[in-house]
Amino acid sequence: MILQIAILVVKILLLVGILLGGFAYLSLVERRLLGFFQLRLGPNRVGPEGLLQPIADAIKMMLKEDLMPLGADPWVFRMAPVIAGFAALSVDAVIPFGAPIHLFGQTITLDIANPDIGLLIAFALSSLGVYGLVLGGWASQNKYSLLGGIRATAQIISYELAMGLSVMGVLLMAHTANLEGIVLAQRAHGWFWLPQILPFLIYTTTAIAETNRTPFDLPEAESELVAGYHTEYSGMRFALFYVAEYINVITQCGLIVTLFFGGWLGPSFLPPIIWYFIKVGIGVFVFIWIRATLPRFRYDKLMSFGWKVLLPAAFVYFLGTAAFVSGVL
Amino acid sequence: MVGFAIIGVLLLIAGISVVVARQPVYSALALVGVTLGLAMIYLMLSADFLAVAQVIVYAGAIMVLFLFVVTLLTAGKEDKEPADTLAGQRWAGALFGLLVGGALAVDAVLHPAPKIAAPVVPGFGGLHAVGEALWGPAFVMLAGVALLLLTAVLGVLMLNHPEAAEKIAGHRRTTPPGVTVSPAEGEDGA
Repeated sequence: MILQIAILVVKILLLVGILLGGFAYLSLVERRLLGFFQLRLGPNRVGPEGLLQPIADAIKMMLKEDLMPLGADPWVFRMAPVIAGFAALSVDAVIPFGAPIHLFGQTITLDIANPDIGLLIAFALSSLGVYGLVLGGWASQNKYSLLGGIRATAQIISYELAMGLSVMGVLLMAHTANLEGIVLAQRAHGWFWLPQILPFLIYTTTAIAETNRTPFDLPEAESELVAGYHTEYSGMRFALFYVAEYINVITQCGLIVTLFFGGWLGPSFLPPIIWYFIKVGIGVFVFIWIRATLPRFRYDKLMSFGWKVLLPAAFVYFLGTAAFVSGVL
Repeated sequence: MVGFAIIGVLLLIAGISVVVARQPVYSALALVGVTLGLAMIYLMLSADFLAVAQVIVYAGAIMVLFLFVVTLLTAGKEDKEPADTLAGQRWAGALFGLLVGGALAVDAVLHPAPKIAAPVVPGFGGLHAVGEALWGPAFVMLAGVALLLLTAVLGVLMLNHPEAAEKIAGHRRTTPPGVTVSPAEGEDGA
């Protein structure tokens, strides 16, 4: 019993450590890759190839003054980044990142929890992340922040629908909402990205929108809203919003890999956990690639694209999958 | 039981602060707290699907829309106590509320419902049980409610969007030929 709890605590600490470390180096990788995409070098001065840049950034963020506008609502202002960070970190608890391993005579599953409705829990927790954005925007009492928060709300609510509908086909094919069950079903039936190609594309699009990244970064559109919902934040509170955004990217890539690309499955010359990290790495690279390539959407185009294209397409494909799985077709 | 007591107290605090808070955003946040607490109680009853549905639907969608509206309404405004237009209405309201609550409590003690003692079906509130309830015998009711809600949405559209309403009604209220009237022009003329 005590051993079980100890293993759980170690797993939680490891996961949070991996995610925070992943965030730190993802920020560096993204800046360097964006540099290469734009035919420049990116940060390469701190340490060899800029490898110590995240540490320098972290020290800078911690030493910066923590400012709060005079008219801000202090309680909500301080809570907002915490909510965003919590929602981002907690989702990963249900994603299996490797096959169960055997250690000290114990079978250790490589996830924090493995509930029957893991996918729904992941959706529920990630849907709470929008509170951080909207509350941060409101509490700053700044019109740009407020506009950013309100844009975030409208955008995330709109795209969450298409996102939820696009994974329904995967649930139908796997006959379970358990994420490990979905991975194992893909071992039996092949990876789901091919039979679910349209939902996969829709899910990726909505995942980019949910993480507020270009071309869907309207909540923080710097040419219109200064920095959107986190305009008034500085120091570690600002950094927490960044942590949340990057960890959301890692999480969404993890979910895409788990739902459509067989999770930790792969040829046996590498351990499953390595396959999982390779796949997530490829996903993150594609996210950065898309950011470097596409310009920002116009707001009305964003809304009509979400409601009039993604949502009906996801719904039709879902109905088709349902007919196919149930044997009607 | 201890967990229920803790969550119950937290729920009561959140519920009371929904009503008491002067700042509408705080009220909305307290309401989010209420929905999350309810989800906890569902979890403790091992109705895990209901708990997750509660969080996704209420905390993740409906309350976000509440906040959307509330933040727009209260941006940069003072939150002052509104004037009491009807003298003593709060005390009267509290009194009648207590009376109704007391009457309900007395009735519940005098006539306990026999069915509450019966155990729920196994897996109640889980993914399969909810699915079977919704898509099995209760499907007609579910479809009815869905139609009703769809009608309500269309009704709001008709009421708030006269142009769309005309389009849906098939240009029945056509203007005489040669006269083009749009709402903006009408306002300009007035």
